[in-house]
Amino acid sequence: MPPKGWRKAAHDPVATQTLVLDNGAYTLKAGFASAAAAPTYDDCKIIPNCIAKGRDKRVYIASDLDKCTNFGEMAFRRPVERGFIVNWEAEKAIWEHEFSEGKEGLRCDPKETNLVLAEAPNCPVQLQKNCDEMVFEEFEFATYYRSIGPALNAYNDIPSLFSDSAPPDTSPLPPECLLLIDSSYSHTTITPLYNGRPIHLAIRRMSVGGKLLTNYLKELSSTRHINMLDETYLLNEIKEAVSFVSPSFKTDLERTWKGGLSDRREVDPSIVLDYVLPNYEHSAHGFARPHDPIKARRKLLQPLDGPREDILPVGNERFAVPELLFTPTDIGLQEAGLPEAIMQSLSVLPAALQAGMLANIVVVGGNSLIKGFMERLETDLRQLTPTNIPLRIARAPDPIKHTWLGGARLAHDRDLLRGVVVTRAQYQEHGSTWLGRWFAGGDALKGK
Amino acid sequence: MPHIEILPNTGAAPAPGWAYVPDTGYDPSKVAFNPKDRKRQAARLGGMPTGLELSARQLTAVQRRIAELERDNDARSGIEIPNKKTTFKTSATKKILLSAKEIRHWLDDEDALYTNKTQAPGGGARAITSRVIKPAMGAKGRRATITPRALTPAVPAFPGSTSGLQDKALEIRSAVPAPLDDEKLQALLAAPPLPYAAARVGPPGAGAPPQRLFCDTCGYWGRVKCLKCGARVCGLECKGKHDQSMCTRF
Repeated sequence: MPPKGWRKAAHDPVATQTLVLDNGAYTLKAGFASAAAAPTYDDCKIIPNCIAKGRDKRVYIASDLDKCTNFGEMAFRRPVERGFIVNWEAEKAIWEHEFSEGKEGLRCDPKETNLVLAEAPNCPVQLQKNCDEMVFEEFEFATYYRSIGPALNAYNDIPSLFSDSAPPDTSPLPPECLLLIDSSYSHTTITPLYNGRPIHLAIRRMSVGGKLLTNYLKELSSTRHINMLDETYLLNEIKEAVSFVSPSFKTDLERTWKGGLSDRREVDPSIVLDYVLPNYEHSAHGFARPHDPIKARRKLLQPLDGPREDILPVGNERFAVPELLFTPTDIGLQEAGLPEAIMQSLSVLPAALQAGMLANIVVVGGNSLIKGFMERLETDLRQLTPTNIPLRIARAPDPIKHTWLGGARLAHDRDLLRGVVVTRAQYQEHGSTWLGRWFAGGDALKGK
Repeated sequence: MPHIEILPNTGAAPAPGWAYVPDTGYDPSKVAFNPKDRKRQAARLGGMPTGLELSARQLTAVQRRIAELERDNDARSGIEIPNKKTTFKTSATKKILLSAKEIRHWLDDEDALYTNKTQAPGGGARAITSRVIKPAMGAKGRRATITPRALTPAVPAFPGSTSGLQDKALEIRSAVPAPLDDEKLQALLAAPPLPYAAARVGPPGAGAPPQRLFCDTCGYWGRVKCLKCGARVCGLECKGKHDQSMCTRF
């Protein structure tokens, strides 16, 4: 008797549509890519990768959160920890909610869909194996390619980021040298890529990511002003709204100092802000306005009934928090800052590659949107590199979706996709250990 | 790792409640039975950054704070998934879905795996396992151990590059870079991924400025140290606030 599904073997095992999924710890970046049209940022949807529970005990799964208006004391359950999918129970609920049962947007039949999944570098092997097993055994995707996120970025149109005069290439060929910095929610990782292949020995990871910054702001605000230890969502919003990377930390710190007892100083109104907190009755989101010492002092005198407003003053927290990306030792974390971390990563490479990497640095990830981040990174890195070496740093137009777009461009090119994916039949024949080796060994590109 | 075991020369079982523990430098979970003091710290290879003498209690507080900042999921939230299905397609996925392991368990597993691999005979030549603790014997047989700083790897040894971090910039400038050696490059590209712990960024280099200290109360420079609890404050006003409500020792 022929094995089950033998008739299918005559068909093309690679399905027509491909789900490209950048499964981040904070948000999922998901969308379909097909051979028909070149993908753009608009094809990508950003979905919170969490299950949240509000004060009213109502539970929101992933995109349901868009409907929520009261984020007070909201608790989150995140299936992805440190960038890796750890809790598959929650992740499965989210994937099913979005992809197999969900609304029109991203609904698909996994059996008729290819999956291109981005993962964080240096994932423990057991977790990778779990992921492979879930994809093929529980969701039953037709074909599957798992790659580290930074490697997918190499399929993007890199020359255009540096405004090179080269014609925009439609068939993605990875650039020879690319140093990808991904400053995301869980970590900041530095990945050198040679012809699109990551140099694993040189991948470095800083513990500082958006999550740590938010938690740090939460801690600072709570010890200095109002206890907000349960308001993770709100503090994240405040961080995104007001934080900036200071070009000169010392000067800015002086400008926000209130002075000693005997020598009072005026704080710089351009830095110190009052953040008006949302009360979740009339407003779901807060806003920042210039610091007004009189209003801040009158806080306690507001009428009990009638419009009240709660204010969180933000001064040096605005730049002391993102400063951790450049000086993690400020909280006692014994790690080098981002520019030095880049040099540590490069020191593993042969000298000839180092110059090439420094001239092709691309930054992705949400933290790069913090005001002043790119300028500071460039200044600091310039100080660490010899002057005769050109230094080019570019940020992706949309740093959050850029990894997704790289994956989508890979999936758009059908020959490229065919070369890297593993079909379900292959998985069933060889098993998950083989699959792990296949994806890890760089063999994925050999079949091309 | 020095292998210490109790040889069974008598029939008596060792008393419960104690154990021989290798001194592997500062580890917050072992402070209670692996105390550290200044003398020992001086004997260690790296130690904390100069000028920053922290007591074991303070070190533990710093470690705890960082762990708190790095935490992904709230400890308090036990959010159940609504309409949870309890059918599983295969036994493998059942095992995965019902697993309650957290990331730290996985990372510990990985650590143990790599430590074992390097300890096994024949497997010890791998350059990537920088988490391995190698006891260095001093001239007088005094045991010197590697601190946690040294444990987080700086740069895994790559056969082609002999440079450290400090003179790296000079190296680029000194000469036209050597042409790419194809063999070396292929070896570099074919190298497998590092384990999670080994990919962590190393501590700042020797030339880095000393650690900055900030006022706990307002975030300005922490110029004064509270004599009771060791926290930093910027001046009299903040010291007053600190004494009122924030000092951890009364």
